[in-house]
Amino acid sequence: MRIETPQQLTRLRKDCLARFNRHPQKIHVCCGPGCLANGAQKVSDELKKVIKKKRLKGFSVDALKETGCHGFCEQGPLVVVEPAGTFYTRVKVKDVEEIIDKTIRRKEVLERLLFTDPQTGEKIENYRDIPFYARQQRIALRNIGQISQCDIDEYIAVDGYQALAKALKKMSPQDVIDEVTTSGLRGRGGAGFPAGRKWSTCARADDSPHYVICNGDEGDPGAFMDRAIMEGDPHSVIEGMIIAAYAVGAHEGYIYVREEYPLAVVNLQKAIEQAHEYGLLGDGILSSDFSFDVHVSRGGGAFVCGESSALMKSIAGEVGEPRAKYVRSVLKGLHDKPTVLNNVESYANVPVIIDKGGKWFSAIGTKKSTGAKAFSLVGKVRNTGLIEVPMGTTLREIIYDIGGGIQNDRPFKAVQTGGPSGGCLPESKLDLPVDFDTLTEAGSMMGSGGMIVLDDHTCVVDLAKYFLAFLVDESCGKCVPCREGLYQLYGLAVAISEGRGTEADLDKMEKLSDTIVISSLCGLGKSGPNPFLSTIRYFRDEYLAHIRDKKCPAGVCRELIRYEVDPQKCDGCMACITACAQNAITGKKKEVHTIDQDACDKCGACLAVCKRDAILVL
Amino acid sequence: MKQRLIVTPDLCTGCRTCELACAFAHSVKGKPGRSRIYPLPTGKHEMWTPVVCLHCDDPACAKSCLVDAITRNEETGAMELDNDKCVKCMACVAACPFGCSLHDAQHDLVVKCDLCGGDPVCAHFCPTKALTCRPVIPTRRKAVV
Amino acid sequence: MVSLTINGRVVQANKGEMLLSVTRREGIDIPALCHHDAVEPFGACRLCMVEITKAEWDGWTNYVAACLYPVEDGLIVQTHSSKVNELRRTVLDLLLARCPNSPEIRQLAAEYGVTQTAYEEIPDADNCILCGLCTRVCERLGFKAISTVGRGHDKVVAPPLKEAPPDCVGCLSCAQVCPTNVIQYEDEGNKRTIWNKSFELIACKECGKQTITRDFAEALSSQRNIPEDYFELCDECHRRELSVKMGSIVSWSREAAS
Repeated sequence: MRIETPQQLTRLRKDCLARFNRHPQKIHVCCGPGCLANGAQKVSDELKKVIKKKRLKGFSVDALKETGCHGFCEQGPLVVVEPAGTFYTRVKVKDVEEIIDKTIRRKEVLERLLFTDPQTGEKIENYRDIPFYARQQRIALRNIGQISQCDIDEYIAVDGYQALAKALKKMSPQDVIDEVTTSGLRGRGGAGFPAGRKWSTCARADDSPHYVICNGDEGDPGAFMDRAIMEGDPHSVIEGMIIAAYAVGAHEGYIYVREEYPLAVVNLQKAIEQAHEYGLLGDGILSSDFSFDVHVSRGGGAFVCGESSALMKSIAGEVGEPRAKYVRSVLKGLHDKPTVLNNVESYANVPVIIDKGGKWFSAIGTKKSTGAKAFSLVGKVRNTGLIEVPMGTTLREIIYDIGGGIQNDRPFKAVQTGGPSGGCLPESKLDLPVDFDTLTEAGSMMGSGGMIVLDDHTCVVDLAKYFLAFLVDESCGKCVPCREGLYQLYGLAVAISEGRGTEADLDKMEKLSDTIVISSLCGLGKSGPNPFLSTIRYFRDEYLAHIRDKKCPAGVCRELIRYEVDPQKCDGCMACITACAQNAITGKKKEVHTIDQDACDKCGACLAVCKRDAILVL
Repeated sequence: MKQRLIVTPDLCTGCRTCELACAFAHSVKGKPGRSRIYPLPTGKHEMWTPVVCLHCDDPACAKSCLVDAITRNEETGAMELDNDKCVKCMACVAACPFGCSLHDAQHDLVVKCDLCGGDPVCAHFCPTKALTCRPVIPTRRKAVV
Repeated sequence: MVSLTINGRVVQANKGEMLLSVTRREGIDIPALCHHDAVEPFGACRLCMVEITKAEWDGWTNYVAACLYPVEDGLIVQTHSSKVNELRRTVLDLLLARCPNSPEIRQLAAEYGVTQTAYEEIPDADNCILCGLCTRVCERLGFKAISTVGRGHDKVVAPPLKEAPPDCVGCLSCAQVCPTNVIQYEDEGNKRTIWNKSFELIACKECGKQTITRDFAEALSSQRNIPEDYFELCDECHRRELSVKMGSIVSWSREAAS
């Protein structure tokens, strides 16, 4: 069925709503990657089975939705009963029958599955009251968790494609660009370039054809915002792209998805098919003379292909290596033609901006960084997961209020933002508002929105080493400073972590970093030394401890620590003896054990199994 | 104005002054280059002929050059070789049916006559006027050389 | 035409021209190891970094690779400022760590005052600096016999599957453009060996001199429509043939005149 007019779209929306509202109650099962890994699919299958078996009045399998990521991955698998918003955490297959019997049939709440506030110890029923959700403002993630992963009718029911109809029927391409410019939307992929300016440059470019590309090559370790959107709400991305294409006069678009996101590819392809059926993609969209089509292009999994010029080369079938961008890709992009490239999250924001207006959007967030930003909050924080907060929210609010603080109440040490090429911010920066410019000034960056929280058991030298190793591995190897420089920088970091470093090495590293930053070809190289630069900026003492005292204060760097048994605490349970793969621990039951330092390879297994904290890290 | 180097074998004595002039005119870093012109005995009447690039209308050298390093200078009419573009694959050396693309082994360069930018030095130095240079006058008659 | 200032001197350049070609024309020596006019600028070696600014930039400067930077009106360029030299020194230092045995790199590094690398020399280093000239030239010639394989520090130049490349014609262009002369080949008898592949060299049917391989000649004949018999003689014998023909023509015309 093709939708020809905005009226038809509105009618369809009403029909869909009526269909979905037949059931007074609905069950949303989170089928985001985190919940799936914890067995959400089995829970969902069991729910379907039980619902069919029980033949409830006014409740059928249709009232069950397998949604995208709810964000609170820490507590998954999640099951939400709407409209009450009853929020069940860590649901297992054996809980299913009870949920149906009590919550659906008798409207009772299952206390034991509710979320317990770690601060107050109280059970919270409605997810909207949980601080993790209460403090968020979801714009790009607006539909995720609310609608089935890949159903165009559900997307239309939540006002989907209304923005497209508005743009096509009531606005000129220039109006669309003006609205996006007014909104102040800045690219969510990391650089934060104003989307409106990018679009208008492309629209004005003489060369043709024009292309729009969506960057879904989310490569930062620990980041999964774009994945959640592509899997959970692919239509919002597609709608954003169609609007962008209309604005810049493009008729062909590509979504570049990394190889590691197979479900995103499947869902996007399904969504594209559905949009075609409704005539929202293809020739003469909504009976206008505007035509646009989108293709899904699968990456090979190289981190550097998230860089715009490398990405375009990869789409064109060439080796994914960046080129210098003295001529910007907005003028000479894919196939050397004018190209608008935005990130998944940027496109997901576009329909809302067109719908509610640029002014509405620009009122959220800060003056120079408008709107909200999605983050994947991971690391040593209590509530790990996917969040979206207004720009300008402080790191402290994110980590302590939404994130619930540090696991096991350990002291906070730093938060790493911006992915591998981002940086670490210490406690003194916790009250910084999170926006593009503030983070950059503080020596880190917004990046695509990865946020890794570190406690005092994380060694910054080890952290820098980890990220440098990642970047050395992911450097495309085209230019010398990045390929050779990061390799040498990594080598020097390893030397320090092994106690072989000197203070002169630190100077050498700083000088080398300066050269890499200035002379590398692409953004990957230019930001490559950041893991070192930001940690040396705030944690020089820790580097010096490794160099001067040959000590790792966090007790991480293997070469600089040793494990010993605390004779006061050891009760001779033999757990560590069993755990030690090197047979380095000896002792008898109920007698204090000892560790043979020569045999010990410092794997930390004893530390992990000891229940009495009797393993000392020295 | 397109130039043409006119060779009159009858007047050539094989003195090889042209060769010297060419080598010095095409010096590389102060050292004479390989001459692009070769006076050779014809085997008849003890007569010599200076063999030099004919700047053909359909040049095999340019056709064989896969990096387009040999192009016609529209001002002088000469087929010129751009040494910055040349990758020394020797295709033109092998393809020229008159042997007028050469490898200068001393400087490791592929070289050929460039008409000295329109004013061939060899013609200046030829004592017998076997080599002269004059503008091409469009004519229906086909010149021999 | 645009007008820019390089090292204090006002210079004219064509619009769209790259900075490096202008500085080269002006005789300014900027090192560049990955640049060759036969192929598109690449920007990999970063040795041609220069400092640029404009009057209206308020003292702000930027560092760009000259090989890739299109000239702009009013650009003020410093090709050898102390910062630029320092960047080049560090890059050369890194290259020296990668190729400690390359005479070309040693010499260039020495010109910038680096005789011994400050970094850890890479074990089992060959002299390849991964400038990609060989692969790009091969692609430009249309053969695409070799390419870079892998990425980052482990990247290498190699034929497909590291076996004798089926598309190679043995033209030696890769070896000719290599800035560190790392691509090995051998001409012995009428046989040329490169990339572990053997080629027959065409011997001049008069004197036996060899110029190119049969594979290359065949490729030129078929792709560029050059008669195969052109390749039968060497350049010297071609010239001799021409002079003999000339003699015949002249003596024929003398006879006709008398």
